[in-house]
Amino acid sequence: MVAPPPSATSAPAGLTGQTRRLTFHGSGGTLFGIYVVNILLTIATFGFYRFWGRTKIRRFMLSQTSFEGDRFAYHGTGKELLLGFVKAVLFVGLPITAMNAAARFSHDLKIIITGQILTYVLIFTFIPLAMVGARRYRLSRTSWRGIRFSFRGRAWAFARMFLLSSLLGILTLSLYYPFFQARQQAFMVSNSYFGRRPFRFDGRGRDLFGAYIVALLLMLPTLGIYSFWFNARMKRYFWAHTHFETARFRSTMTGGALLLQTLVNTILMIVSLGLAWPWVLIRRTRFEFACLTVEGPLDLAGIVQEPQLATATGDALSSLLGADVGFV
Amino acid sequence: MPDAFTGYYLDGRSAVRREASVRLAGSALEITLADGARLWWPLRDVRQTQGFYSGEQIRLERGAPFPEILLITEPAFLRALRATAPGFGRRFHNPGWRRPRMVFTIGAALAAVAVGAVLYVWAIPAVAGLIAARVPVSWEEKLGSAAVEQLTASRRRCVDPESDEAIAAIVKRLLEPQPNVPYAFRVIVVDEKRVVNAYAVPGGQVVLLRPLVERSRTPEELAGVLAHELQHVLRRHATRLVLQHASTGLLLVAVSGDMTGAMAYGIESARMLGSLRYSRDIESEADTEGLRMLLAADVDPKGMIGFFESMQAEERVAPDMFRYMASHPLAAERVQALTRLAAAHKKEFRPLLPGRDWKSLRRVCAS
Repeated sequence: MVAPPPSATSAPAGLTGQTRRLTFHGSGGTLFGIYVVNILLTIATFGFYRFWGRTKIRRFMLSQTSFEGDRFAYHGTGKELLLGFVKAVLFVGLPITAMNAAARFSHDLKIIITGQILTYVLIFTFIPLAMVGARRYRLSRTSWRGIRFSFRGRAWAFARMFLLSSLLGILTLSLYYPFFQARQQAFMVSNSYFGRRPFRFDGRGRDLFGAYIVALLLMLPTLGIYSFWFNARMKRYFWAHTHFETARFRSTMTGGALLLQTLVNTILMIVSLGLAWPWVLIRRTRFEFACLTVEGPLDLAGIVQEPQLATATGDALSSLLGADVGFV
Repeated sequence: MPDAFTGYYLDGRSAVRREASVRLAGSALEITLADGARLWWPLRDVRQTQGFYSGEQIRLERGAPFPEILLITEPAFLRALRATAPGFGRRFHNPGWRRPRMVFTIGAALAAVAVGAVLYVWAIPAVAGLIAARVPVSWEEKLGSAAVEQLTASRRRCVDPESDEAIAAIVKRLLEPQPNVPYAFRVIVVDEKRVVNAYAVPGGQVVLLRPLVERSRTPEELAGVLAHELQHVLRRHATRLVLQHASTGLLLVAVSGDMTGAMAYGIESARMLGSLRYSRDIESEADTEGLRMLLAADVDPKGMIGFFESMQAEERVAPDMFRYMASHPLAAERVQALTRLAAAHKKEFRPLLPGRDWKSLRRVCAS
């Protein structure tokens, strides 16, 4: 596959207000090659290679993604992921496991129950911290046209919002869910930067409230299948309210398409016993990109490098807690 | 071969892309930008970060941490660079290696399958067996008591002194010829309406469901089931299964990397099929070793075979492909294997519980 011919000079072309897309160029065969070599080396090194393998896959996925004729680049390293993993295990994984185990071996039922509750609370507190950490790391290691992305939100502010919103969600019997999602998205998007310029998000939970009520009512009669339609609706709404400078995003994802996509991917994975993973990942990525456009004028001349520091601890923690954000 | 190429230049400070022409000048690149500015990149400072796959643009970087970048779309560039600066060949990707790399990748795929198969079929069961043999009996007893609590929590336990004593006598007869048995065995019968089943938990407790006991036509039939369950305990099958399940989990973590959502399902289905095979293996082992146990105690194995035959009559005939989704071998296969084994050992048998009325003894939950 050949990259689309790049426009002559992008600054003037960028101002014309055309529709732009992300394009994925890579093939499943190439990714399968990377995946298989990763498996072999991971087994041979008793698991240590997985951090380097993961980095190789991320690098491939981003460098096969182009926007305006230029590829993205991933700058993370396996060593960073390994150090992040060691830190996450030492400071979060081990203490929580040890405390939980100690409480379990006690003969006092009160201690056992307190230990269990404390474990859940701690894990639940670390989930938002891990989400922010993962996003901070991934964005800081991603660049386009040599300009780094970054994330500048404060982890504890997000954790406070996340825990409070979860509590509200429970108290309102999940009616708070659309507001929670919108606040979470607002935090994640409006603290993301490309170079020195921030992304902006102006979505509000109340715009999704009606759709959520409909979804709740239809969830049981459709055996949960309606959730695909609600999720697609939410995605469309979130993208429609995401801006970068004067450009805005637009998603055309429909519930039916999302359902079909998920169904086919799941069947492919089960039938192949997991071996189709590279093709499934690429199918999914192409699907997401096909639904997404960037519209309006985009002034790239004013975008200036302004990198931020970040470590991989949050990224490792998020995979440790099973709260991974996807897109490898 | 041309020594000038066109591409784009990014300065690493702004997102503006500028057209550039690149000339190969021995141990350096001479870059001329559209506005006439000239840059001189000594090759020893230049590294390649993209362009390792066909169709991917070549990306060269110079400086750190936020390098200047040169993008070149013509694939011939790499070959020309090798020709004019052979001393720097190792710094840049060699397109000539793509074919050997593909061959290597296919080799790696085959090797990964082979390594996985060896680990799964041989190494994991062997290691699990070694470790299981070293787990202290007291640990197994603790684990077993907890399991029995769970299994029998919602059901009534059947207690009938006469029947209990008869079942204990069968167990005693089976264990007599066995050298050093580290377990104190205990058989528990629980009330149940339809399900014909028996479980062995680690540490020596065996749980029989009432219909199984009532279905056995002779004490020899029940002895067959008990021999099978005792072998599960003696060979530490439960402990082995737990260890094997944990090891396949570790193996799959290595394989799966960062799979999420739908992708994790596929891998989990593979793991389940793998665990079921391990389960069928231990069931076959408990069958053959159970039959040997009967023979050693001079109990007629016809009882065991007869019981499995009556189970086989009830087994719904499923298409052959489903055998890989079963936790036990097919009853027909079990009967065949046991008949073959029993035929090879003709000897004199002594009856179990002579002079006792099995029809009344087997009604364990009557009271």
